[in-house]
Amino acid sequence: MARMRYLKIWVGGAILLLLLVCGLVAPFLAPYDPQEQRLEHRLQPPSRGIQGSDPHWLGTDNLGRDILSRIIYGSRISLLVGATTVVLAGFMGCFLGALAGYFGDLTDEVISKISEIFLAFPFLLLAIALMAFLGQGLLNLILALMLTRWVQYCRVVRGEVLSLKERDFVVAARALGGRDFYILFRHVVPNTLASVTVIATFAMAIVIIAEASLSFLGLGVPPSIPTWGSMLSEGRSYMYRAPWLTIFPGIAIFVTVFGINLLGDGLRDILDPKLRGQR
Amino acid sequence: MAREKSAMNRRQFLKQSAAFGLGSLMAPAFARQVYAASKDRVAVLHSVSADSLNPYAHSASPTYGIWQHILEPLVEVDYAKKEFYGVLAESWEFQGKKWVFRLKKGIRFHNGAAFTSKDVIFSINRMKTDKASLQRSNFRDVVEMQAPDDHTVIIATKTPSAVFLDRLHNRFMISKAAADKYGDQMDQHAIGTGPYRFVSWQRDGNLVLTRNDDYWGPKPEIKEVVYRKVGEEAGRVAGLLAGQGDVINNVPVDEIPRLESHPRVRVEKVAGLRMYFLAMNCTLKPFDNKLVRQAVNYCIDPQAIIKYIYDGNGYMVDGPVPSHVIGYDPNLKRYPNDPKKARELLAKAGFSNGVEVKLYFSPDRYPKAREICQVIADQLLKGGIKTEPVSQEFVIFWGKDGVNGGKLPFYYVGRPFVDTDTFYDQYFHSGVTKRIGYSNAEFDRLMKEQQSTGDQKKRVALLQEAGRIVMEDAPFVPLYNLAEVYGVARNVIWKARPDEKILVWDMKIRS
Repeated sequence: MARMRYLKIWVGGAILLLLLVCGLVAPFLAPYDPQEQRLEHRLQPPSRGIQGSDPHWLGTDNLGRDILSRIIYGSRISLLVGATTVVLAGFMGCFLGALAGYFGDLTDEVISKISEIFLAFPFLLLAIALMAFLGQGLLNLILALMLTRWVQYCRVVRGEVLSLKERDFVVAARALGGRDFYILFRHVVPNTLASVTVIATFAMAIVIIAEASLSFLGLGVPPSIPTWGSMLSEGRSYMYRAPWLTIFPGIAIFVTVFGINLLGDGLRDILDPKLRGQR
Repeated sequence: MAREKSAMNRRQFLKQSAAFGLGSLMAPAFARQVYAASKDRVAVLHSVSADSLNPYAHSASPTYGIWQHILEPLVEVDYAKKEFYGVLAESWEFQGKKWVFRLKKGIRFHNGAAFTSKDVIFSINRMKTDKASLQRSNFRDVVEMQAPDDHTVIIATKTPSAVFLDRLHNRFMISKAAADKYGDQMDQHAIGTGPYRFVSWQRDGNLVLTRNDDYWGPKPEIKEVVYRKVGEEAGRVAGLLAGQGDVINNVPVDEIPRLESHPRVRVEKVAGLRMYFLAMNCTLKPFDNKLVRQAVNYCIDPQAIIKYIYDGNGYMVDGPVPSHVIGYDPNLKRYPNDPKKARELLAKAGFSNGVEVKLYFSPDRYPKAREICQVIADQLLKGGIKTEPVSQEFVIFWGKDGVNGGKLPFYYVGRPFVDTDTFYDQYFHSGVTKRIGYSNAEFDRLMKEQQSTGDQKKRVALLQEAGRIVMEDAPFVPLYNLAEVYGVARNVIWKARPDEKILVWDMKIRS
């Protein structure tokens, strides 16, 4: 049981690490410039080089660009968007959730109502609306996804803070004359980190899929930046003729999300206080 | 008493629901029969439909094609001869500020009323005044209309308008008698003079027409027509292959091999009227510099796009306008593809380190726009112009912060036209639209003059002269016309038209 738990973390962590390395050293790993178009070599199937031409391990796309290189570069966007969004949304959600839970009353009322408004919209629909409004771009993409993801943190942290603030160590800290913000961010919030970590890993998987979905719809980053979602979208019309255009980016998304979910699962098994008792 | 009447008793309710239930069970069986091409019936799976029964609340070529079965225009274009011929009009005369039309005699509407000059005046007035009409601007110069007798119409314009026939193209005639009878309900009856009568219509569903056996012209072979809206490309292709439809439009080029290898369908292609081009706004940097605009022209190679992206299903425009339009000039050639020359021009313009621009486009509106703009960016890069393609939602792209507000410096767009005047007037004539911010006094003078010249030869010469000016000033890069690609059941004999209209009376069924 315990070994299984760590296995999940190991496998998930390894996949994520591999991806991270891929993204970091992309220029050295990628055999070609991901943007280099060679129209005369378009739609080549995966090969070690047909009749003396250059090898394209995963084939070339509709504009003659190397798919392997684009997938490697694409991992940058997925990770960057995933990590940044999760961290930023985490900060925003935790901060607001802590305030709402600790101070209660009007603060709680206002923040909870705002988060309910956000919750009322289907997540992806809200992201699509925001992107259509903000326009294409990496920063806009992160902003849109952050605005749709912070609510989950906020709800969980608020709940945890509600129960934590009644605990003896908090009462003690207050008795010693600690100020509200000091107690909140020194004693209360750190105790919510376990749950936040678990949410963050799962959120990252969701955000990566959301980024791919938005890019698929042409609402993500500009066409000049390769991403897995836009590769899927551009390859879609070639499904019959050149299925490798969609299969490989699809596998990339699948493996990444699978890895992160494994990691999140493993972390939850260890960190979740409810599951902790079952050991 | 009244209450008793309106209530529905249990027995009635059961009877009716049984009928509905049985009907819905049987519907699929009927559907099978409906969609098999025969002399009795042809089904067209179309990317668009009539969005309402108001015949003037649209201005899209394929929609005109649908309406033209029921309603008819005064004139229509013969694309092979590049000239107009009369449909409801027998003849016409251009008299300076006046156009005199003589109408054909003995034509009757579907309701039996005779077609007269009063109907023409009534129809044009409705196009001008109906709040929902999107065809109003065609008559902005019309000051007065007269009907001296039942078969003569005199239309007076503010200034001589030699291009008035083009404005009358696709303007359909409705019945004044029907309007008098039905009032504001007249559209529900859709009465015209056309070869088909209106049967029924559902929004985003089927439009059903049946042959008008009293038609004044040659009688169509096919008795019943069903236009069914299928917005998704893949849906239309699947529908055709499954035998649910006999004709589909806008087949994506990637599907052509699949359709061609199918035993029951074939592919029909024709050069479309829509010319694609890159527009450069002459009031915005860096395109306010003529040398930069010319440099862009030298960078672009439309042949590569046609060959690799459209699998050869396109036709390069070799001058400012394609060779099939009125006003084409065989002696005026496009800028050759020469990136080196582009770099020289950029250096001369003061951009020796290159220049950075954004290329705006709306994906899905025009086929493969996203791919095209990436290829264009690559071609521009070779000439020293670093280009970032920017994708926008069509409403934003086309709106007041986009093309029509004159806010986009550089964009990919298409415009269908038969007469060069239509295109030049809309994009380059000062003060007509803000789309491109181009203004040249000599060009404007030539445009005004050709618009009031009745002699077609002289008018073409003036358009050609205007073409030389706009080519030199280079506010745009002409690209190509694409093939209009249709999928057709093999037993349907039909030739596609360049204007995106699917006219069922042109079809025959091979028995």
